[in-house]
Amino acid sequence: MLSLDINSVSVSYSGLPTPVLDIASLSIEAGSRVAITGASGSGKSTLVHILTGLERCAAGGSIRWGGVDIAEMSERSRDRWRGAHIGLVMQDFHLFPGLSAVDNILLPARLSRAVKPGDPDRALMLLYAVGLCRADQTIETMSRGEMQRVAIARALLRKPGVLIADEPTASLDSDSGDAVARLLIDLSVSNESTLIVVSHDPRLTGRLERRITLSAGRIASDREHREKAA
Amino acid sequence: MTRFIFADLRRLWAGSLVVVLLIAFATALGVAVTLQERALRLGSARAADRFDLVVGAPGSETQLLLSSVFLQPSPLPLMSGDVLSKLAADPRVSWTAPVGFGDSFSGYPIVGTSTALATNLSAMSEGRVFSKASEAVIGAAVTLPLGYAVKPMHGTAGGETHTELAYRITGRLAPTGTSWDRAILVPIQAVWGLHGMDAYGHEADEAHAENTAGDPAAGVPQDEAAHHDDPGHGEHAAIDPDAPLDEHWTAETPGLPAILVKPKTIADAYKLRQDYRGNGTLAVFPGEVLTNLYATLGDAKRVLSAVAVGAQILVAAAVLMVTVMHIGQRRRQIGALRAFGAPQSAVLMIVWLELFILIALGILLGFAIGYGAAMLLSAMFSGESGIVLPVGFIRDDVKSVIAIVLFSAVLALAPALLAYRQSPAAALRA
Ligand SMILES: Nc1ncnc2c1ncn2[C@@H]1O[C@H](COP(=O)(O)OP(=O)(O)O)[C@@H](O)[C@H]1O
Ligand SMILES: [Mg+2]
Repeated sequence: MLSLDINSVSVSYSGLPTPVLDIASLSIEAGSRVAITGASGSGKSTLVHILTGLERCAAGGSIRWGGVDIAEMSERSRDRWRGAHIGLVMQDFHLFPGLSAVDNILLPARLSRAVKPGDPDRALMLLYAVGLCRADQTIETMSRGEMQRVAIARALLRKPGVLIADEPTASLDSDSGDAVARLLIDLSVSNESTLIVVSHDPRLTGRLERRITLSAGRIASDREHREKAA
Repeated sequence: MTRFIFADLRRLWAGSLVVVLLIAFATALGVAVTLQERALRLGSARAADRFDLVVGAPGSETQLLLSSVFLQPSPLPLMSGDVLSKLAADPRVSWTAPVGFGDSFSGYPIVGTSTALATNLSAMSEGRVFSKASEAVIGAAVTLPLGYAVKPMHGTAGGETHTELAYRITGRLAPTGTSWDRAILVPIQAVWGLHGMDAYGHEADEAHAENTAGDPAAGVPQDEAAHHDDPGHGEHAAIDPDAPLDEHWTAETPGLPAILVKPKTIADAYKLRQDYRGNGTLAVFPGEVLTNLYATLGDAKRVLSAVAVGAQILVAAAVLMVTVMHIGQRRRQIGALRAFGAPQSAVLMIVWLELFILIALGILLGFAIGYGAAMLLSAMFSGESGIVLPVGFIRDDVKSVIAIVLFSAVLALAPALLAYRQSPAAALRA
């Protein structure tokens, strides 16, 4: 589990008058489950990219995960850090056709040469945990709901300290969305990961204990509703 | 990693196949041109190598070479027959043989010569050398059986058939890899007899012998007029097929288009060439004439190479375009892998390897196709000319292969670096 502390983070694109993301400070406790909502274009995905070190913020900002500032890292060490600590789930899966479900789960670890002896078994276990039993089924033959479940298994393979999902249910039908929402919460609990979910989906945000709303790149509201915690 | 790459290539097999085939054909073109040019040079040089020195009447050295070594029909001027007797008696000469052309049989040139050539050109693979006027020895590539009766036809095609004489095949030579493999070797006295130039046996009048010796057209099939007006025409029917071989060359020997000479030593060869240049004769080293010929053909070779290179540049451009499109979408897809924990170096490696595998496969296939094409062309050429064109790679080819592979490795680096430098966030948004 990782805690997050970010300070004076700002992201601007040339040609835009105002920064697309501008956050003075934000803290998330280790092990907490947070929803991030906001209108389209409010900077939610940009925040995800900043939190995962996929994008750099303007100089002066800091992004501390468990005390480690990834804003100061080189490209290469951020890649390595991300591989070890972040589990990412995107709206459109980014799985590789031609490879089986279990190979997709193992792919990033293999490419990083970070596969541990127990990992292939863990991949099968995770696949089972997300409700899939055909490990050799190729990705392109799966339904969208099944694909997203494979993506969740992939995100959890290396026991990341934080699980981050960007609109994971937005392109799924309601039944699949329901299942994915439940899986994200349950598996983040059982894997002891901090969970950050960008979503408009009330079935998902309603189950999380804290909701941060972005508007034009700034934090518009930040509410906790412990009574609804899963 | 490899599993990923192969899954990717398998999925995009059609595009991959196009890239591989394009590269293969470009490579094959270059390889075939190079191999074929080399084979032609080597093959003809080897064919010419069999003959150390050729003596003919003054005229074109190239024509003398083409006629005597490569048996290409062309009208050669004649030199006096006593040159042969002088050469035969020369202590510097190991053996010497006259050659006289004029007739052919179903596409095979009939060459009048002596037992010296028939025994020295190559070993007999079956049968024996001719021992009378109407016997013949055939080259290895002549597809006629021993004992077959060869009815000589005047000229190379469409000429009248000599009815006076038919040669009986008595032996076959082992292959030499030269044009002579397609030749039908007969005693030169028979050729002379058929063309009314017989100076022996039948008391041919002096006037006739002198006439032919000085007449550049006589003994050469192309000149029909000279043939028919020949006062010796009437003698044709008088050829005795069973006449014994007469290889006793004298000053009376009729005019000859060419004499093949085997000098005893290299020094002798140079001296002989010196002695027989001028004074009504022209002595040449076939190898040297061939080298000069290549020098003049060098420009043609350069044009051919330029065409091949041009085609390769075009294909390289096409390949680059196809691959940029082919890799383009997956560059993003692969770049997105970084978001899920793959390192930047893996992204570089995947894109580079994927492209490099395609290029390397193409080059490999191209070499195979090019080699096959060159073999095919050589086989076709050998069938027509009898000259064996040795298609083969040389040590320097390894260097060029390495150069090509290195170049393509660098080429493949371009899209790989693009993928490497691409922001993973941008890849995710795509
Ligand atoms: N590379 C970019 N260049 C310019 N503008 C960008 C770029 N990436 C995102 N934006 C803009 O930044 C804003 C925030 O985008 P994003 O974080 O994706 O919003 P959300 O995920 O909340 O819908 C949008 O207005 C978008 O157009
Ligand atoms: Mg978004």
